[in-house]
Amino acid sequence: MSDFLQSYGFLLVTLIQAGLLGLSLYFPLMAGQLSLASPGFYALGGYVAAIMLTNPAFAGLRDTLGNGIFPLTWLAAGLLCALAGVIVGVPALRLRGIYLALATIAFIEILRVVALNLSITGGAIGIFGIPQTFGFQDRWQYLLIFGPMLLLVLAFTYMLQKSRVGRAFRAIREDELAADAMGVPPTQYKVLAFVIGAVIAGIVGSMSAPFLNTWNAKQGTFDASIAILAFVLIGGSRSMWGPVVGGALLTAVPELLRFLQDWRLVINGLVLVVASLYLPQGIVGALGKLRRSPPPSRPPVAPTTDAKGGTP
Amino acid sequence: MNRTKLKVSAAAMLTLTACLAFAQKVENPVPIGVAVAQTSNTALLGQEQVIGAKFAEKFLNARGGINGTPFKLVFQDAAGDENSAINAFQNLITKENVVGIVGPTLSQQAFAADPIADRAKVPVVGPSNTAKGVPQIGNYIARVSAPVAVVAPNAIRTALRLDPKIKKVAVLYAQNDAFSVSETGTFQETAKAQGLTLSTVQKFQTTDTDFTTQVTAVLNAGVDLAIVSGLAADGGNLVKQLRQLGYKGLIIGGNGLNTSNMFPVCQKLCDGVIIAQAYSPSQPSAANQVFVKEYRAQYKKDPPQFAAQAYAGVQVFVEALRAVDRKKKLNTWDLDDLRTELNKQILLGKYNTPLGLISFDKDGEVVQKDFYVAQIKMKDAKTGSFVFLK
Repeated sequence: MSDFLQSYGFLLVTLIQAGLLGLSLYFPLMAGQLSLASPGFYALGGYVAAIMLTNPAFAGLRDTLGNGIFPLTWLAAGLLCALAGVIVGVPALRLRGIYLALATIAFIEILRVVALNLSITGGAIGIFGIPQTFGFQDRWQYLLIFGPMLLLVLAFTYMLQKSRVGRAFRAIREDELAADAMGVPPTQYKVLAFVIGAVIAGIVGSMSAPFLNTWNAKQGTFDASIAILAFVLIGGSRSMWGPVVGGALLTAVPELLRFLQDWRLVINGLVLVVASLYLPQGIVGALGKLRRSPPPSRPPVAPTTDAKGGTP
Repeated sequence: MNRTKLKVSAAAMLTLTACLAFAQKVENPVPIGVAVAQTSNTALLGQEQVIGAKFAEKFLNARGGINGTPFKLVFQDAAGDENSAINAFQNLITKENVVGIVGPTLSQQAFAADPIADRAKVPVVGPSNTAKGVPQIGNYIARVSAPVAVVAPNAIRTALRLDPKIKKVAVLYAQNDAFSVSETGTFQETAKAQGLTLSTVQKFQTTDTDFTTQVTAVLNAGVDLAIVSGLAADGGNLVKQLRQLGYKGLIIGGNGLNTSNMFPVCQKLCDGVIIAQAYSPSQPSAANQVFVKEYRAQYKKDPPQFAAQAYAGVQVFVEALRAVDRKKKLNTWDLDDLRTELNKQILLGKYNTPLGLISFDKDGEVVQKDFYVAQIKMKDAKTGSFVFLK
């Protein structure tokens, strides 16, 4: 038992982590906004946790709270990312489509350069020697926090989709002007979707910092945004299962194919190309199509011998 | 239905692996893990390490391996990111049952992956991690790569010997590269300690191609020495633009520029760049001369530092294993006990490697006697060489 978890524990957790990051991108997409800011908030959350867990300024807090410091880092990361999400979201969401995507990329770059230049973030080397959450020794034990987090986020997404807010998101996605005319304030809901994504990414980041043992500016980069976007697109952007499936698949493929050495990256590329060519709705979208009963076809034409008039 | 099947087979697999894991013996040939960057942009360095490690495997096995028992290297790609390094380490530790690991390539990766090995009590020898704090990660972590703080000052001392009139210095570094940032710190401290004035400190990114701003600042400061910490592509471009815009003084390059991959970038203008080295092909020890001869025969050029360090990393494991084997035959050891014993032995031993005679202090930090300084001499636009200065 422990051997399997020893070998694959780290991978299992990264699968969940990828799924969660995919979900954080899924929220803005739900409201029709192509935002790539998730890695920025992920990095920010990680830095919050790393600094709170290692910086001497927080030593007193750590001593008094003991293990309680870990949930506190999640809370702090979530709150800070919510705040940053509002600050970035309100001006950025005046933009649409590709321009919003560009603005969010700029946000990631700004965060990265700032992190490289501050001494509190450890510059390019980053922060290392981060204490382990609840004294975990093995990587698989992180399933105990990432697993419930995933369930929680999925449950939240499910409920949100059924709620008034979820319907408002979809209305904006389908037609912003029409939604506005129907009395759905687009800016408010778009910012809300953006902030929810930011909070999720931030909390995932704060959980990941101890998991990776170290945190540096390479964690939130433009490359990461593209990877996360691929999770959502390959998995399917119209269902909450899409990002989870896509994230898990794209993270697992290169690792499980390690025995193929360099070829594993070729296979990974093939998966991306084939999935985007043949599954435009994503994997989950394609599966959904299979399950749905085909639309009713026209009833067979009855023999019409008697209807033929004009026989002499 | 499908789900229950999956669960059953997963459970079966788990019990199977659990049984296998019980009382793990050391395999024959003895597996030693190598987790360096075989893909990603870090592979430029990692490939040289792979070559060095493979040389060690061939050569040391031909000389009897571990007192007659052969060893094999198990390679896992650690790429250039933290996740891949951790995955590679996990694979080596739990699936390949290696006795120890040589890797990873980058210091940032070491900070992520080394704690994993340390907690699993598997000895690690870092072949190229030079940042401060790596051997202090844990008891099981050592490195054969001398830290920047030890290597870099030699370049400044040599520059001062070449031109004793140097007074003003400009320092330039790639701020998004962990290695360059810690290296520039050492350069700046050394320059101050030598009584030089830091006239300007300029930052750039490893992805930059235009350095007009930095070069102008250097020229305006009227310095006699420019110290560049970056990687091959950006560092080479910076050197080129410094010369093109009329900088006449000496240039010191950091370890990132310590590769012939820079020659195509700055071409003739690379000429004269001074670089401190942890390794020299002219190091006179027998171990090194054999290594250099074999390497030249196969690749038609001198072995680079990264290859020599990876070779040394494997050699440290093999010689420590020999010492352990003399005490008690390797095939009688329990794997976990062997890893612990091996770690103790690694720190105790003295090794006659291509890097010269090395040993370790109690943290696992390498103790190396000889360092070198080389100057680039370009024959034409494409080919050049590192000429070692006395």
